[in-house]
Amino acid sequence: MPEWFATTPGRLYVVATLLPLVGCALLLLFAGLARNLCRPLRASGGRAGSLYWLLGGDKPLATGAYLATALMGLAAVLAVVGLVMFLGDAQRGLKPDELAARWSERTDWIRVGNTDPATPAEWDKSDSARLVRDESTAAPPVPRGGRALELGYRIDHLTALMVAMVTVIGTLIFVFSLGYMRDETKETVEDHEVDHQTPGTHHFARRGRYGRFFAYLSLFAFSMLNLLVADNLFQVFVSWELVGVCSFFLIGFYYERPSASRAAAKAFIVNRVGDAGFLVGILVAWTSLGTLNIDELARRLRSPDRDTHGSLELAGQLVRVNPGQPDEKGNPTYELPAKGETGTHLALYPALWEDPTHFHGLGHARTNDREFTAPARQTYFDFGAMPYWLFVVMGIGIFLGCVGKSAQVPLHTWLPDAMEGPTPVSALIHAATMVAAGVYLVGRCYPLFAPEVLLGVAYTGAVTLFVAATIALVQTDIKRVLAYSTCSQLGYMMLALGVGGWAAGLLHLLTHAFFKALLFLGSGSVIHGCHHEQDLRKMGGLLTKMRVTGFTMLVGVLAIAGAPFFSGWYSKDQILSSALGYGLVHREHMTLFVLPLLTAAMTGFYMFRLWFLAFAGAPRDHHVHDHAHESPAVMTVPLVILALFSVGVAWGWPLWDADASALGHLLEAGQPAAVRVAFGPERLTAHDHHLVAGVLALLAAALGAGLAAAMYWRPKLDPAAVRARAGGAYTFLLNKWYFDEAYDAALVRPTVGLAFASAAADKRPTDGPAPPGAAEPPPRRYDLGTLDGLITTVGQLVGAAGRELRLVQTGRLRGYVLVLALTVAGLLGMLVGLSG
Amino acid sequence: MIELGLPPFLLLSAFLFACGVSCLAVKRNAIGVLMGVELILNAANLNFVAFARYNPAFRVEGQVFALLVVVLAAAEAAVALAIILNFYNNHATVDVDRADDLRG
Repeated sequence: MPEWFATTPGRLYVVATLLPLVGCALLLLFAGLARNLCRPLRASGGRAGSLYWLLGGDKPLATGAYLATALMGLAAVLAVVGLVMFLGDAQRGLKPDELAARWSERTDWIRVGNTDPATPAEWDKSDSARLVRDESTAAPPVPRGGRALELGYRIDHLTALMVAMVTVIGTLIFVFSLGYMRDETKETVEDHEVDHQTPGTHHFARRGRYGRFFAYLSLFAFSMLNLLVADNLFQVFVSWELVGVCSFFLIGFYYERPSASRAAAKAFIVNRVGDAGFLVGILVAWTSLGTLNIDELARRLRSPDRDTHGSLELAGQLVRVNPGQPDEKGNPTYELPAKGETGTHLALYPALWEDPTHFHGLGHARTNDREFTAPARQTYFDFGAMPYWLFVVMGIGIFLGCVGKSAQVPLHTWLPDAMEGPTPVSALIHAATMVAAGVYLVGRCYPLFAPEVLLGVAYTGAVTLFVAATIALVQTDIKRVLAYSTCSQLGYMMLALGVGGWAAGLLHLLTHAFFKALLFLGSGSVIHGCHHEQDLRKMGGLLTKMRVTGFTMLVGVLAIAGAPFFSGWYSKDQILSSALGYGLVHREHMTLFVLPLLTAAMTGFYMFRLWFLAFAGAPRDHHVHDHAHESPAVMTVPLVILALFSVGVAWGWPLWDADASALGHLLEAGQPAAVRVAFGPERLTAHDHHLVAGVLALLAAALGAGLAAAMYWRPKLDPAAVRARAGGAYTFLLNKWYFDEAYDAALVRPTVGLAFASAAADKRPTDGPAPPGAAEPPPRRYDLGTLDGLITTVGQLVGAAGRELRLVQTGRLRGYVLVLALTVAGLLGMLVGLSG
Repeated sequence: MIELGLPPFLLLSAFLFACGVSCLAVKRNAIGVLMGVELILNAANLNFVAFARYNPAFRVEGQVFALLVVVLAAAEAAVALAIILNFYNNHATVDVDRADDLRG
């Protein structure tokens, strides 16, 4: 066993990924099923009956939840061990292929044709190579090489850090849930929300669903880890859908409440819109590049860093070419456009060019190739090209999936509604991990994005962070404020990725996961302590009652607002300086810096507003305040641990230099080459103007926080007066920019209307009452003319054909023989005619 | 002796086959139909021996198959004549169009 891990330590991650799945399977599929199967025998005793009582009987059993939590903890230990081993390997300076041998594996799942790269004879002709070695005059090889859908994992700096983050936060949230969901262990749970929401039901009661909750949570953890370690887009897509369905289950955990089931359906459907785009991106990659492995895709698209002659100048670039005249063999050729122009096609490279064949890359230091052909002479560039617009479509498609999952405008509407789920779910899935998957995928697929797509990413992020923050200013539900702030912070990450701050965006992803999980769990603790009161206006003065929750939440607020030396400060500072660098180089895109700067002020305002409203001042609702109590240790201990992480996770030496973050340096080590190539001058400028951006961000955050203090802590400004001054803007924000209403009017209502119209048309028994004098009401002319008519016609046609063909079957041999002979003669004639 | 080659044999065989098929198609007399079948069988037989003669790969097989077809034709004729005799005993005719007892 130790040797098994020692040779390929990446297997640690496979085990860590599978552990939660084991937990889920044991909990729900095995134990739940067995219990339900044995249920009819509970009274009659016997072995099945005793199994029923052993598995908890009528009362939900907590053992399974403890088991799932323990497995999750074990996964976290494995992930941390894996992280340490990986960083050790990276420190030792292993070559990329040695590192890949230790930290990645892949196997075919579904295979078509020969895909074994080890047999050169086959490799020559495979589509992924598109290489002609002989000088024959044959046409270029048709794409007939093997293709495979693969299962695999690949660990790099980003993945190792993400897996460690997800498992550690996951474990803490599992522990927190043990306390928060304690109600679900009761034999009957009364859900008063159902009574409120559906008039007429009284005392809705159901069995507790403790085990089911942990089963869903475990399944989610498995899917998320699988998404992180996956090395190809198909596996990512499968996990992508799995986390989507887990999110659906968990948002709709209280599915008896109409609002919860509606929110679950909404999240699922809105995500499908994005996933349709993702699927398009995957299919484009599959058809035009022949592989889904992210590494191979990057190698196909970006020029390699060395060829047979040595290192290349143009490493990691997208080379655009123009189609030229076909050469003497009829093969397509491509030539480089003149300086200052762009080509219509994108040159492709072999995914496995370490083949013994002589390989001559573009931009070699000693030669200056003006044209190259594909696939003609082997010494030339002969690996084909794809239309550039198709490449852009692929990038947009993949990014659209990320927009849906990461709740970016315009697909952000599902995230605030997703707060209907239990609070630990909001913390784990809808703040820390799943919604970050979109950002993670953008980071991981970075080489697959054209510059145009990256600009789109940046603007999507900028718009999202601004819109979500403005909405968060006026929300009164404690969880909705946090939900919109999550949207806004995800916008920051997208923006950073779009402007070339790869490490900055992903650093923010990691730090944000910790402090947002902390804030959500803190709000969960508040809600738990206030007996499921979520309205900020009814809270106030809770600090005296809930000291641990209050102070840990203050840490989270400071971190998200970007107070110096808290983790959020380091990442936000880097993001803003990246944006400033980009804006200074491209003056027309200065908005990309101004919007996040304004939003930094708003972040400070809405987070401190939340904290002051909940914890400071005098209690506004004495009923809530009198019954408030601090949560048990099982809930506060995770809060404290998360608070420690929120403070120190991004620390580095020197502490006061935001660029010195150790975590940031780790991420930078794993930065794809494409970032350096595409954003060279921007990154230099960002580095030079680092201090300006930092000071501006700090001033903005302080301004926002000060305003919040003036309005809600030391009442110098009356919130009501401000609200009156704002007038229409306030209503506009309170209604969330009318996004839901617009979608409702543009998409939902026409669809529902169409459905109702169709149902009505189908349900009518007749076209109307019988006209006077007629015996029967008129038939349904509409139906008879459309679907019903079509189906009836098909049946009648078949019957008629049978009746006609009956006449042919006379039973007279002589007729048959004649037909046979004539047919044979006719066929022979055709054969002669065709071959002659 | 003149070497004829394969094509004349195949042509003759095709002619015989065509005769047999047209005989099948136009005759109402059961005996005539039987004679048409015999013609078809013999056309095939001619093919077998011709190929046995001109294709060294089928030297033995062709002749063996030809013998087999002769035996088969004899057996078939015996069975068919027996059926025709019985049919004549029952219907006092050998017109195949009158054999419609099983018609639905």
